[in-house]
Amino acid sequence: MRDLASDRAALEQLRVQRERLADRMRAPWWYLTGAAILFAVAFASPFSSRYLPPGVPTWPVLVAALALAVLLHWALTRSTGISIGIPDLTYRPGRPARIGMLIVSAAALLTERFLIDRGLLAAAAVVALLAVVAGVVSVRAAIRGIRQHLRQGSP
Amino acid sequence: MNAKPDPLIHPIVRLSICGLLAAGADWVEFAALRDAAGIGDSLLSKHSRILEDAGYVEVRKGAVGRRPRTWFRLTPAGRRAIEGHLAWLAQLEETFAAGARDALLGEPIPDDPGIRALS
Repeated sequence: MRDLASDRAALEQLRVQRERLADRMRAPWWYLTGAAILFAVAFASPFSSRYLPPGVPTWPVLVAALALAVLLHWALTRSTGISIGIPDLTYRPGRPARIGMLIVSAAALLTERFLIDRGLLAAAAVVALLAVVAGVVSVRAAIRGIRQHLRQGSP
Repeated sequence: MNAKPDPLIHPIVRLSICGLLAAGADWVEFAALRDAAGIGDSLLSKHSRILEDAGYVEVRKGAVGRRPRTWFRLTPAGRRAIEGHLAWLAQLEETFAAGARDALLGEPIPDDPGIRALS
Protein backbone atom coordinates (compact mmCIF):
# COMPACT_ATOMS: atom_id res chain seq x y z
CA MET A 1 0.00 0.00 0.00
CA ARG A 2 1.20 3.50 -0.73
CA ASP A 3 2.07 6.00 1.94
CA LEU A 4 0.70 9.52 2.29
CA ALA A 5 3.40 11.10 0.15
CA SER A 6 2.72 8.56 -2.64
CA ASP A 7 -1.01 9.33 -2.51
CA ARG A 8 -0.24 13.01 -2.96
CA ALA A 9 2.08 12.13 -5.83
CA ALA A 10 -0.68 9.98 -7.39
CA LEU A 11 -3.06 12.92 -7.29
CA GLU A 12 -0.46 15.16 -8.86
CA GLN A 13 0.23 12.52 -11.53
CA LEU A 14 -3.48 12.37 -12.34
CA ARG A 15 -3.46 16.13 -12.90
CA VAL A 16 -0.59 15.74 -15.37
CA GLN A 17 -2.37 12.84 -17.11
CA ARG A 18 -5.56 14.90 -17.45
CA GLU A 19 -3.49 17.70 -18.98
CA ARG A 20 -2.22 15.21 -21.56
CA LEU A 21 -5.73 13.96 -22.30
CA ALA A 22 -7.08 17.51 -22.59
CA ASP A 23 -4.27 18.46 -24.99
CA ARG A 24 -5.61 15.91 -27.48
CA MET A 25 -8.85 17.87 -27.75
CA ARG A 26 -7.82 20.38 -30.39
CA ALA A 27 -9.61 21.34 -33.58
CA PRO A 28 -7.50 20.38 -36.63
CA TRP A 29 -7.43 22.66 -39.68
CA TRP A 30 -9.83 20.42 -41.63
CA TYR A 31 -12.38 20.61 -38.82
CA LEU A 32 -12.29 24.41 -38.80
CA THR A 33 -12.44 24.47 -42.61
CA GLY A 34 -15.47 22.17 -42.56
CA ALA A 35 -17.13 24.33 -39.91
CA ALA A 36 -16.47 27.42 -42.04
CA ILE A 37 -18.14 25.73 -45.04
CA LEU A 38 -21.18 24.87 -42.91
CA PHE A 39 -21.47 28.42 -41.61
CA ALA A 40 -21.02 29.77 -45.16
CA VAL A 41 -23.91 27.59 -46.36
CA ALA A 42 -26.08 28.79 -43.46
CA PHE A 43 -25.30 32.49 -43.95
CA ALA A 44 -25.73 32.25 -47.72
CA SER A 45 -29.34 31.14 -47.24
CA PRO A 46 -30.85 34.68 -47.27
CA PHE A 47 -29.22 35.22 -50.71
CA SER A 48 -30.35 31.87 -52.11
CA SER A 49 -33.92 32.22 -50.83
CA ARG A 50 -34.11 35.62 -52.53
CA TYR A 51 -32.27 35.04 -55.80
CA LEU A 52 -32.73 31.36 -56.66
CA PRO A 53 -35.49 30.88 -59.25
CA PRO A 54 -38.65 29.25 -57.87
CA GLY A 55 -38.67 25.47 -58.21
CA VAL A 56 -34.94 25.01 -57.63
CA PRO A 57 -34.67 22.51 -54.75
CA THR A 58 -32.49 23.50 -51.77
CA TRP A 59 -32.88 20.24 -49.86
CA PRO A 60 -29.81 18.58 -51.46
CA VAL A 61 -27.67 21.38 -50.00
CA LEU A 62 -29.27 20.91 -46.58
CA VAL A 63 -28.74 17.13 -46.68
CA ALA A 64 -25.10 17.63 -47.76
CA ALA A 65 -24.56 20.16 -44.93
CA LEU A 66 -26.06 17.77 -42.38
CA ALA A 67 -23.90 14.92 -43.69
CA LEU A 68 -20.81 17.15 -43.47
CA ALA A 69 -21.67 18.10 -39.87
CA VAL A 70 -22.04 14.43 -38.87
CA LEU A 71 -18.83 13.52 -40.72
CA LEU A 72 -16.87 16.30 -39.00
CA HIS A 73 -18.09 15.25 -35.56
CA TRP A 74 -17.23 11.60 -36.24
CA ALA A 75 -13.79 12.47 -37.64
CA LEU A 76 -12.94 14.71 -34.67
CA THR A 77 -13.91 11.91 -32.27
CA ARG A 78 -11.77 9.45 -34.24
CA SER A 79 -8.74 11.73 -34.47
CA THR A 80 -8.75 12.82 -30.81
CA GLY A 81 -9.83 9.47 -29.32
CA ILE A 82 -12.25 11.40 -27.10
CA SER A 83 -16.00 11.23 -27.51
CA ILE A 84 -18.08 13.90 -25.82
CA GLY A 85 -21.42 13.01 -27.41
CA ILE A 86 -23.51 15.66 -29.13
CA PRO A 87 -22.69 19.00 -27.48
CA ASP A 88 -26.16 20.55 -27.30
CA LEU A 89 -27.09 23.45 -25.02
CA THR A 90 -27.41 21.15 -21.98
CA TYR A 91 -23.70 20.24 -22.28
CA ARG A 92 -21.94 22.76 -20.05
CA PRO A 93 -18.35 22.97 -21.38
CA GLY A 94 -18.19 25.58 -24.14
CA ARG A 95 -21.88 26.46 -23.69
CA PRO A 96 -21.36 30.26 -23.56
CA ALA A 97 -19.68 30.08 -26.97
CA ARG A 98 -22.55 28.03 -28.45
CA ILE A 99 -25.23 30.32 -27.00
CA GLY A 100 -23.29 33.37 -28.19
CA MET A 101 -23.10 31.90 -31.69
CA LEU A 102 -26.85 31.24 -31.77
CA ILE A 103 -27.52 34.90 -30.93
CA VAL A 104 -24.95 36.13 -33.47
CA SER A 105 -26.41 33.81 -36.13
CA ALA A 106 -29.95 35.05 -35.59
CA ALA A 107 -28.80 38.67 -35.65
CA ALA A 108 -26.67 38.12 -38.79
CA LEU A 109 -29.48 36.37 -40.70
CA LEU A 110 -31.98 39.12 -39.84
CA THR A 111 -29.48 41.83 -40.77
CA GLU A 112 -28.66 40.13 -44.08
CA ARG A 113 -32.36 39.86 -44.97
CA PHE A 114 -32.89 43.51 -44.03
CA LEU A 115 -29.95 44.63 -46.21
CA ILE A 116 -30.89 42.40 -49.16
CA ASP A 117 -34.46 43.78 -49.10
CA ARG A 118 -32.95 47.26 -49.50
CA GLY A 119 -30.62 46.18 -52.31
CA LEU A 120 -27.47 46.54 -50.20
CA LEU A 121 -25.93 43.29 -51.42
CA ALA A 122 -22.30 44.15 -50.70
CA ALA A 123 -23.13 45.09 -47.09
CA ALA A 124 -25.14 41.86 -46.70
CA ALA A 125 -22.18 39.85 -48.03
CA VAL A 126 -19.85 41.55 -45.54
CA VAL A 127 -22.26 40.67 -42.69
CA ALA A 128 -22.35 37.06 -43.90
CA LEU A 129 -18.56 36.92 -44.05
CA LEU A 130 -18.22 38.37 -40.54
CA ALA A 131 -20.79 35.85 -39.28
CA VAL A 132 -18.76 32.97 -40.77
CA VAL A 133 -15.62 34.25 -39.01
CA ALA A 134 -17.60 34.58 -35.74
CA GLY A 135 -18.83 31.01 -36.23
CA VAL A 136 -15.33 29.61 -36.60
CA VAL A 137 -14.15 31.62 -33.58
CA SER A 138 -17.07 30.22 -31.55
CA VAL A 139 -16.18 26.65 -32.58
CA ARG A 140 -12.62 27.22 -31.38
CA ALA A 141 -13.92 28.73 -28.12
CA ALA A 142 -16.29 25.80 -27.57
CA ILE A 143 -13.46 23.29 -28.04
CA ARG A 144 -11.28 25.34 -25.71
CA GLY A 145 -14.08 25.08 -23.11
CA ILE A 146 -14.21 21.30 -23.53
CA ARG A 147 -10.42 21.13 -23.19
CA GLN A 148 -10.57 23.17 -19.99
CA HIS A 149 -13.28 20.85 -18.65
CA LEU A 150 -11.17 17.77 -19.39
CA ARG A 151 -8.19 19.38 -17.70
CA GLN A 152 -10.08 20.18 -14.50
CA GLY A 153 -12.05 16.93 -14.43
CA SER A 154 -15.65 16.32 -13.39
CA PRO A 155 -15.19 15.42 -9.71
CA MET B 1 -20.17 13.64 -2.19
CA ASN B 2 -19.20 10.66 -0.02
CA ALA B 3 -15.41 10.86 0.36
CA LYS B 4 -14.19 7.32 0.95
CA PRO B 5 -11.28 5.21 -0.27
CA ASP B 6 -11.93 2.37 -2.72
CA PRO B 7 -9.34 -0.42 -2.49
CA LEU B 8 -10.09 -1.52 -6.08
CA ILE B 9 -9.07 1.79 -7.61
CA HIS B 10 -6.33 2.63 -5.13
CA PRO B 11 -3.54 1.02 -7.25
CA ILE B 12 -2.04 3.82 -9.26
CA VAL B 13 -2.75 2.42 -12.74
CA ARG B 14 -6.44 1.90 -11.98
CA LEU B 15 -6.62 5.31 -10.32
CA SER B 16 -5.18 6.80 -13.53
CA ILE B 17 -7.64 4.92 -15.78
CA CYS B 18 -10.69 5.84 -13.71
CA GLY B 19 -9.48 9.38 -13.07
CA LEU B 20 -8.99 9.97 -16.80
CA LEU B 21 -12.36 8.44 -17.69
CA ALA B 22 -13.97 10.70 -15.06
CA ALA B 23 -12.39 13.81 -16.58
CA GLY B 24 -15.52 14.67 -18.55
CA ALA B 25 -15.38 12.67 -21.77
CA ASP B 26 -18.21 10.35 -22.70
CA TRP B 27 -15.96 7.63 -24.17
CA VAL B 28 -12.15 7.51 -24.41
CA GLU B 29 -10.34 5.39 -26.99
CA PHE B 30 -7.68 2.85 -25.97
CA ALA B 31 -4.70 4.71 -27.49
CA ALA B 32 -5.79 8.07 -26.05
CA LEU B 33 -6.15 6.53 -22.59
CA ARG B 34 -2.84 4.69 -22.89
CA ASP B 35 -0.93 7.79 -24.03
CA ALA B 36 -2.52 10.07 -21.42
CA ALA B 37 -1.85 7.57 -18.62
CA GLY B 38 1.67 6.94 -19.92
CA ILE B 39 1.38 3.16 -19.59
CA GLY B 40 1.78 0.22 -21.95
CA ASP B 41 -0.86 -1.71 -23.90
CA SER B 42 -0.66 -4.82 -21.73
CA LEU B 43 -0.93 -2.90 -18.46
CA LEU B 44 -3.95 -1.00 -19.71
CA SER B 45 -5.59 -4.21 -20.97
CA LYS B 46 -4.96 -6.02 -17.71
CA HIS B 47 -6.27 -3.30 -15.41
CA SER B 48 -9.19 -2.30 -17.63
CA ARG B 49 -10.34 -5.94 -17.54
CA ILE B 50 -10.24 -5.88 -13.73
CA LEU B 51 -12.26 -2.67 -13.72
CA GLU B 52 -14.70 -4.09 -16.27
CA ASP B 53 -15.17 -7.25 -14.19
CA ALA B 54 -15.85 -5.07 -11.13
CA GLY B 55 -18.53 -3.19 -13.07
CA TYR B 56 -16.64 0.12 -12.93
CA VAL B 57 -15.82 0.41 -16.63
CA GLU B 58 -17.82 -0.31 -19.76
CA VAL B 59 -15.92 -1.47 -22.85
CA ARG B 60 -17.07 -1.06 -26.45
CA LYS B 61 -15.14 -2.81 -29.17
CA GLY B 62 -15.32 -1.96 -32.83
CA ALA B 63 -13.14 -1.70 -35.89
CA VAL B 64 -12.27 0.86 -38.51
CA GLY B 65 -11.24 -1.11 -41.56
CA ARG B 66 -8.98 -3.84 -40.25
CA ARG B 67 -7.86 -1.88 -37.20
CA PRO B 68 -9.62 -2.78 -33.96
CA ARG B 69 -10.82 0.11 -31.84
CA THR B 70 -11.63 -0.18 -28.16
CA TRP B 71 -13.47 2.54 -26.27
CA PHE B 72 -13.91 2.88 -22.51
CA ARG B 73 -16.25 4.76 -20.26
CA LEU B 74 -17.12 4.74 -16.57
CA THR B 75 -20.30 3.09 -15.40
CA PRO B 76 -22.39 4.99 -12.79
CA ALA B 77 -20.89 2.71 -10.09
CA GLY B 78 -17.38 3.47 -11.37
CA ARG B 79 -18.09 7.19 -11.39
CA ARG B 80 -19.36 7.11 -7.81
CA ALA B 81 -16.30 5.12 -6.73
CA ILE B 82 -13.71 7.38 -8.38
CA GLU B 83 -15.44 10.58 -7.25
CA GLY B 84 -15.48 9.28 -3.66
CA HIS B 85 -11.88 8.12 -3.90
CA LEU B 86 -10.64 11.40 -5.40
CA ALA B 87 -12.54 13.37 -2.77
CA TRP B 88 -10.90 11.21 -0.10
CA LEU B 89 -7.46 11.75 -1.67
CA ALA B 90 -8.09 15.50 -1.78
CA GLN B 91 -9.07 15.42 1.89
CA LEU B 92 -5.94 13.45 2.61
CA GLU B 93 -3.87 16.04 0.77
CA GLU B 94 -5.47 18.82 2.80
CA THR B 95 -4.94 16.88 6.02
CA PHE B 96 -1.35 16.23 5.04
CA ALA B 97 -0.75 19.89 4.24
CA ALA B 98 -2.42 20.96 7.49
CA GLY B 99 -0.44 18.28 9.35
CA ALA B 100 2.79 19.53 7.86
CA ARG B 101 1.90 23.03 8.99
CA ASP B 102 0.95 21.73 12.46
CA ALA B 103 4.13 19.66 12.66
CA LEU B 104 6.09 22.84 12.13
CA LEU B 105 4.11 24.29 15.01
CA GLY B 106 4.49 21.10 17.12
CA GLU B 107 0.97 19.56 16.56
CA PRO B 108 0.42 15.85 15.56
CA ILE B 109 -1.05 14.81 12.13
CA PRO B 110 -4.75 13.86 12.68
CA ASP B 111 -5.68 10.18 12.45
CA ASP B 112 -7.86 9.21 9.43
CA PRO B 113 -9.95 5.98 9.42
CA GLY B 114 -9.60 5.85 5.61
CA ILE B 115 -5.82 5.68 5.92
CA ARG B 116 -6.13 2.79 8.40
CA ALA B 117 -8.52 0.98 6.02
CA LEU B 118 -5.94 1.00 3.23
CA SER B 119 -2.90 0.20 5.39
